[in-house]
Amino acid sequence: MKLAVVVQRYGAEINGGAELHARYIAEHLARHAEIEVLTTCARDYITWRNELTPGLDEVNGVPVRRFPVQRERDPGQFGRRSRRVFEERHSLGDELAWLESEGPASRALVEHVRASRQRYDYFLFFSYRYYHAYHGARAVSDRAVLVPTAERDEAIGLAIFPPVFRGVRAIMYNSFEERAMIQAVSGNGAVPGVVVGIGSDIPERVEPARFRQKHGIAGPYAIYVGRIDENKGCSELFTFFQHYARRRRHPLTLVLAGNPVIPIPPHPLIRHLGFVSDEDKFDAVAGAELLIMPSRLESLSMVTLEAWALGRPVLANGTCDVLKGQCLRSNAGLYYENEAEFVEALYMLEANRPLARALGERGLAYYQRHYAWPVIERKYTDMLEQLEREPVVEASTRRLEPLPGWWERRRPRLPPTRQVMADVPAGPAVVQTAESGQ
Amino acid sequence: MSDFSIRADSVNVEEIMRRVRARIREKRGVDYTEEEIQELAAVKLEKFLDPQKVRSELLQHFQRTATAPPNFAFEDTTLFESHRGIVRVIRRLLGPILKLFFNPNPLVHALHIQSQLNTRNAQHADLSYELMHNLVVELTRVSIEVKNLKMRVESLSSRLDFDERRARALEGAVQYRPGAVPAEPPSAPEPPVRDEEGEAGAAGATGAAPGRSRRRRRRRGRRGGGGEPVPAGPQAPAETGSMVERAAPSDQAPADTSAAEPAAAGARTGEPGPARAAEGAEGPDEESGPFNQ
Repeated sequence: MKLAVVVQRYGAEINGGAELHARYIAEHLARHAEIEVLTTCARDYITWRNELTPGLDEVNGVPVRRFPVQRERDPGQFGRRSRRVFEERHSLGDELAWLESEGPASRALVEHVRASRQRYDYFLFFSYRYYHAYHGARAVSDRAVLVPTAERDEAIGLAIFPPVFRGVRAIMYNSFEERAMIQAVSGNGAVPGVVVGIGSDIPERVEPARFRQKHGIAGPYAIYVGRIDENKGCSELFTFFQHYARRRRHPLTLVLAGNPVIPIPPHPLIRHLGFVSDEDKFDAVAGAELLIMPSRLESLSMVTLEAWALGRPVLANGTCDVLKGQCLRSNAGLYYENEAEFVEALYMLEANRPLARALGERGLAYYQRHYAWPVIERKYTDMLEQLEREPVVEASTRRLEPLPGWWERRRPRLPPTRQVMADVPAGPAVVQTAESGQ
Repeated sequence: MSDFSIRADSVNVEEIMRRVRARIREKRGVDYTEEEIQELAAVKLEKFLDPQKVRSELLQHFQRTATAPPNFAFEDTTLFESHRGIVRVIRRLLGPILKLFFNPNPLVHALHIQSQLNTRNAQHADLSYELMHNLVVELTRVSIEVKNLKMRVESLSSRLDFDERRARALEGAVQYRPGAVPAEPPSAPEPPVRDEEGEAGAAGATGAAPGRSRRRRRRRGRRGGGGEPVPAGPQAPAETGSMVERAAPSDQAPADTSAAEPAAAGARTGEPGPARAAEGAEGPDEESGPFNQ
């Protein structure tokens, strides 16, 4: 079987959530099928500037074919078009223009996908919201398997996407919440789909002492790993943590590992390490009392799974449906929805070590049951085999709906996506058979 | 914390979170919930804040005035736009002719900037509202806390006053501790020798300060002209007894013979007597002992 993994950026040094997800999947599926990655020459997800050489490349033994992006993103234009589609009544043409502005607009990539449809059995498209996934899935819908990595943001309410969700051959979801949300906006219950998620390459041996010595960290600490950004909930985390530190006599230190986008408040108990290597990251998480995940918008959160894989409990933002659902299903993490809950839950995890240990053990068991690589690989291969067995007639009934005509595309009949999202059910998904498997 | 189950297979995060919330409610006690604080901030500010400085309907008023008309996005194509495609095309075709009459570009540019300014102002208004709202809520919370703290300080200060008064009253009372000193044999035939060494030894045995015994003897010695002389012999056992004297200034009494006699009697029988306090508080020069300060 020959598979193409189509993703917006790809590289060993690219650590974005969906991109890393795609790389892990490509590298692990390479054991079961012939894999080629189709991607752009961009390295920066904000500008989509062509920084890598077009043509064939190889990353960790997986062949990669890069295509240039036609034009960099114009932030002003993208902002205006985002306001238009998210906040105002608009047309389908506005949404297509928004998609073009968002990028990475690489017609060469889409043309290659269209032209080489016979070369690959299936195309795995990552990140539904980008140009390559939308146009690529439309070009080869009968061979398209979508890995949406969708978050509960305004983009999911755009009218251009439901036909894609209904028209692809299969969807590999990251979480039950993501599946429920996509099914609510698109009504794609008939499309084969499975909640898979992603594993992680957890080292067999971690040395927290090495991390402590290297960074001069003594005493117990909580850790946050990821981009230090407003969108990741870091401002709220800083506020809540400072309140917690004021109230406790011997509070934990907060260690931050990641590139900062917002200023970090000067505080004796907040330690910023900058970007750290994978080795340091795993050592740091293994040595922490807990991992804090303050993001409101997550499609899965790999670092949360990594903390569980290392037997550490998690304190997550409960306003994120996915994180709250994961905590409830795994029984391996606490969550907070306001400052008082943050302080109390953090205190509980810090002071009640048996509880923290028990949560960590549950996390490890949950990870091994649902996110260990053999489980993930099996879910992918099972799905692909299921698609192979699927009758052609049944597959053809789910052909992707064509775009409406020229006039219809320009009629401003679509409501603002914020309005659409307000009607989509929220909250953690209740899964009756969480223990039995996903 | 001990009430939480610690077996990994019996951990229930939902239950733990219920307990976390219960603990938060317990800690708050008589404190207010978020909703109550919001309600108080919106309605009952005058109860907690100076009504001359912060108006209770401030937020509603600000919200009312902050609602601006919808902004009009103005782009370079706006002037020529139409919902009818044909009209739009004609306008675009006639654009060069229009430019023969006047240059619309500065107008488009100015209106575009104005549109951006309007957007920015609207965002600032939202931020200001949020800031104002948070400030009022926080101010209310702080005011409630200050009020509670004031009440607590008042309560503590009244308790402190009470304790001080009680301490003073106790200092004035005479306490007898029968087990503090081995009882003197009742048939002590001879009074101890009244030399300095003997006194010191007696004082050491009873725990009474030697200086106090000396002072008392000195007083009695000086009292001769004021009243009936007190015999020195029977007084001596009293000096070695377990009586602890505490004389508050209010307990001061004139030293007369009527007081001196029962004192001597009490000393002899080993029972406490009010006269001992009176005796100990004869004059200001005696109030230097640790119990009389």
